Amino acid sequence: MRPLWQIPRDCLFWLLVSVFVSIGLHLEHLPPWVALSGIVAALWQIQLYRERWHQPGRLLKWSLAGACGAGLLLHYGRMTGLEPMVALLFTGYILKLLEIHHRRDALVLLYLSYLIIILQSLFSSTIVASVLVLVALLPVTAALVAMHGATDNSRPTTALRTGLAMILQAIPLMLVMFIVMPRIGSLWAVPQPNSATTGVSDSMSPGDMTQLGRNGAIAFRVEFDGPIPEQNKLYWRGLVFSSFDGRRWQQQAPQSYRDGRFLQWSNQALEAWDKDIIRRGQPLSYRVTLEATNSHWLFALSTPLSPSSSVALSRDFRLVNNEPVVSKLLYPVRSWLDNQLQAESLPGWRHQIELALPAGYNPKTRAIAKQWRAETPDTAAFINRLLGLYNQEFIYTLRPPALGRHTVDEFLWGTKKGFCEFYASSFVFFMRAAGIPARVVVGYQGGERHPSENYLIVRQYDAHAWAEVWIEGRGWLRVDPTAAVAPERIELSFADLFAEQDEFLSESPFSLEHLRHINWLNNLRLKLDSLDYAWAKWVLGYDNIQNDLLLDLLGAIKPQRIALLLLFAGGIALLPVFIMLYLSREKNTRDELDRLFLQYCARLDNIGLPREPGEGPRDFAQRIGQQAPSLTAQVDALTQLYESARYSEVQGDDLKRFKAALKAFKPSRKAFLHGA
Amino acid sequence: MSKESQQITEAIVERVESVLVGKQHSVRLALACLYAGGHLLIEDLPGMGKTTLAQALAAAIGLSYTRVQFTSDLLPADIIGVSVYDRNKASFEFHPGPIFNQLVLADEINRTTPKTQSALLEAMAEGQVSVEGETRPLPQPFYVIATQNPLSQSGTFPLPESQLDRFLMRLRLGYPDPEAERQLLSGADPRSKLATLSRGVTPLQLAAIQGAVSRVKVSESLVDYLQRLLQFTRSSADIDYGISPRGGMAVLKSARAWALMDGRDYVIPEDIQAVFSPVCAHRLPVSGGEHRAENLIQQTLNSVDII
Repeated sequence: MRPLWQIPRDCLFWLLVSVFVSIGLHLEHLPPWVALSGIVAALWQIQLYRERWHQPGRLLKWSLAGACGAGLLLHYGRMTGLEPMVALLFTGYILKLLEIHHRRDALVLLYLSYLIIILQSLFSSTIVASVLVLVALLPVTAALVAMHGATDNSRPTTALRTGLAMILQAIPLMLVMFIVMPRIGSLWAVPQPNSATTGVSDSMSPGDMTQLGRNGAIAFRVEFDGPIPEQNKLYWRGLVFSSFDGRRWQQQAPQSYRDGRFLQWSNQALEAWDKDIIRRGQPLSYRVTLEATNSHWLFALSTPLSPSSSVALSRDFRLVNNEPVVSKLLYPVRSWLDNQLQAESLPGWRHQIELALPAGYNPKTRAIAKQWRAETPDTAAFINRLLGLYNQEFIYTLRPPALGRHTVDEFLWGTKKGFCEFYASSFVFFMRAAGIPARVVVGYQGGERHPSENYLIVRQYDAHAWAEVWIEGRGWLRVDPTAAVAPERIELSFADLFAEQDEFLSESPFSLEHLRHINWLNNLRLKLDSLDYAWAKWVLGYDNIQNDLLLDLLGAIKPQRIALLLLFAGGIALLPVFIMLYLSREKNTRDELDRLFLQYCARLDNIGLPREPGEGPRDFAQRIGQQAPSLTAQVDALTQLYESARYSEVQGDDLKRFKAALKAFKPSRKAFLHGA
Repeated sequence: MSKESQQITEAIVERVESVLVGKQHSVRLALACLYAGGHLLIEDLPGMGKTTLAQALAAAIGLSYTRVQFTSDLLPADIIGVSVYDRNKASFEFHPGPIFNQLVLADEINRTTPKTQSALLEAMAEGQVSVEGETRPLPQPFYVIATQNPLSQSGTFPLPESQLDRFLMRLRLGYPDPEAERQLLSGADPRSKLATLSRGVTPLQLAAIQGAVSRVKVSESLVDYLQRLLQFTRSSADIDYGISPRGGMAVLKSARAWALMDGRDYVIPEDIQAVFSPVCAHRLPVSGGEHRAENLIQQTLNSVDII
């Protein structure tokens, strides 16, 4: 079957380039066979264009569609979620390439290309990804230009140039829309990619883990209003684990907190438990730009408050976002480092929660804890005794031996080697066994100070676990048993400490972090990071400042004012285009007589009697005489004057008379209609 | 002068129309061609009134008229004339051929050999013939109406583009409209009126009109319009080679004659538009379809604005 419609040559070229670019953008999260079949389909389309191959038959097309659907099901095992849906769209896009019968088919493909390219920003929104998306729009736009025959078919570069010009002209408008357009909250849940690597997860089981995640990816960045506090004060609390089942530490279910709600939103009345928090002195003010975690929890120094309405404070004094953090999130925080938490008393049921230990695990630790408690009744002394034990006999290592059923027993009295999670877990177990309420806190510790910019970079390998114990009259106190074993872990940054070890960054083989010791490369790395941070702060985090900006600009945010601002700013953005058009317009060389004649034509055009381009004044007058007889006399007189002024070249006052006659010439639509 | 030429034109047209019914526009164009001093090519099927037009024009203008049927064995001497030995005078005497007439109808010019064609065309261009070293001027006015049959091209020698250029205009008479045809069928043979047709113009008047054509005014903006028309044919994607400057001059000359016939001493765009197609269509080397050139010309006229 021959195609019903032949796609223009340059359009096909750019269409195929668009397909390849789309495949390239999504290569990372597409099944390889989908990308491969895209290339095959493109080759098929080329052969179709050359009339070497035939269109696929109906049966083949249906079976290909079926095979793709089945392949996707096999590959993902489900059809929900972002990645399978994008892959499904992609297979449809690729199969559509095999049936370009009409112009509309090619148009559908091009519009789909735009959609698919934009979908890339759901997976990554770094500065590099955004620039790539912008560049990827170019071939699609060029194909669209070629499709509409704006150029002759021969050279694809012509279409590219036009496309480039169009995109460049659109950029000012893009910026205006970005700055002014109010953000509408997502109307539906945006499906999210499933692959996010974080150093912190919602549970912790030290016995199972023999290698700490050594991932150099950025967890979040923090910009302080004042100086950055010392390294050993930077305990970024993320999650609190109060529940232990013998192997695994987990969060306590929120409903087990019986008095009052678990979350305190900033725009709601204060919960009763808010009085448990005593904040002293000046708060530390800072803004965190968190990378996507796909989880609700946020990181902050104790004890935090966030003015953001989408961030809540939880019962265990950490910050929680109202929806999973699926893309970079900027949130402002104020933290009172000098605080007292729940100093008054802990109700009985809370005691139960914070002391609960699973039966049948770690008998030796339980016995020794009871024995020590009897020997050292003072809580502070008791804690110090255990920390002393850590300090003397334990070794901090990133490669601890595996533990069996009684993880705490084996660690405390056997292997004595481990990293933060081992110490936090055993410490809390020991405290609970001795009747002291305690819990595990996980989050990040420390961070890398950017040498020139005033912000802190916290990476996944800064993930840390520590403990909090509750002491009557003093409330919840942070105790970091790791600091007792390896104080340098807390004083220095993790990277400074472990850069020499092989395990360091074993999960990020291509990270620039490997080359920290090469000075200029290290500088480059930090420069890139500050660029990326600026992008995150000003572009991705623009939502957070837009409101204030618009308020400053408009006084009040009302639809009318926003529309006016949009029009105004859009007008300014388009001003260069107008100026260019004005400068490049055809010079008006018409003399007065022709201008008057054009006025005369325009007046007749207004009542529905346009002059055809090649129609001479006399023919025009004759036609008007037929269509609107009531105008005949005036029109004939005007035509006579124009002709004699224009063509007879007799020096007379015809021009003046034409002008005068034109002044009196006011044809109305009525005259035309009644005449007709 | 302009009013007078209008009256004379009307008189001639009226006389011709009494014989050749319903072809006023073609008659006017043929007359404009004569006023402008050019020659006319009529391309049409047999029986459309080509000969009648030529005869009626000759009679209405009062020109000496002859008709030459061009055949493949026609020789240049058959047209131009030949020197014959006169025994009484004991010398060669030139016997002028049919071309020594004021109006020559060259019927089916494409049937004869290129040699004969070029003899005729040369005479048309020069206004004189050279026989045996002697140059003999042709009578004034000298007006050739050539016809050719667009069909049955076998055994013909189509005129090359360079020779088509010698004709100021090419006309197609076409079928008469129904009204005219009914009149034609019901009445007596109009040709019978030819013998009684009186002339509507004196030779002096005709010479005056021909002289007046070059004095018709052409304004700057009109020249500009014509130039844009020519430029359009050169830049159009559909036309391989646009109209030559000589073609442009031919348009202007014809438009002047047309304006004069309308009683004006200046040219207006409508004059150009009236003569553009007959003057230019045969100068456009386009292939594909009999009326393609005319269509392209019409397209040009529709596209180019007059101001």
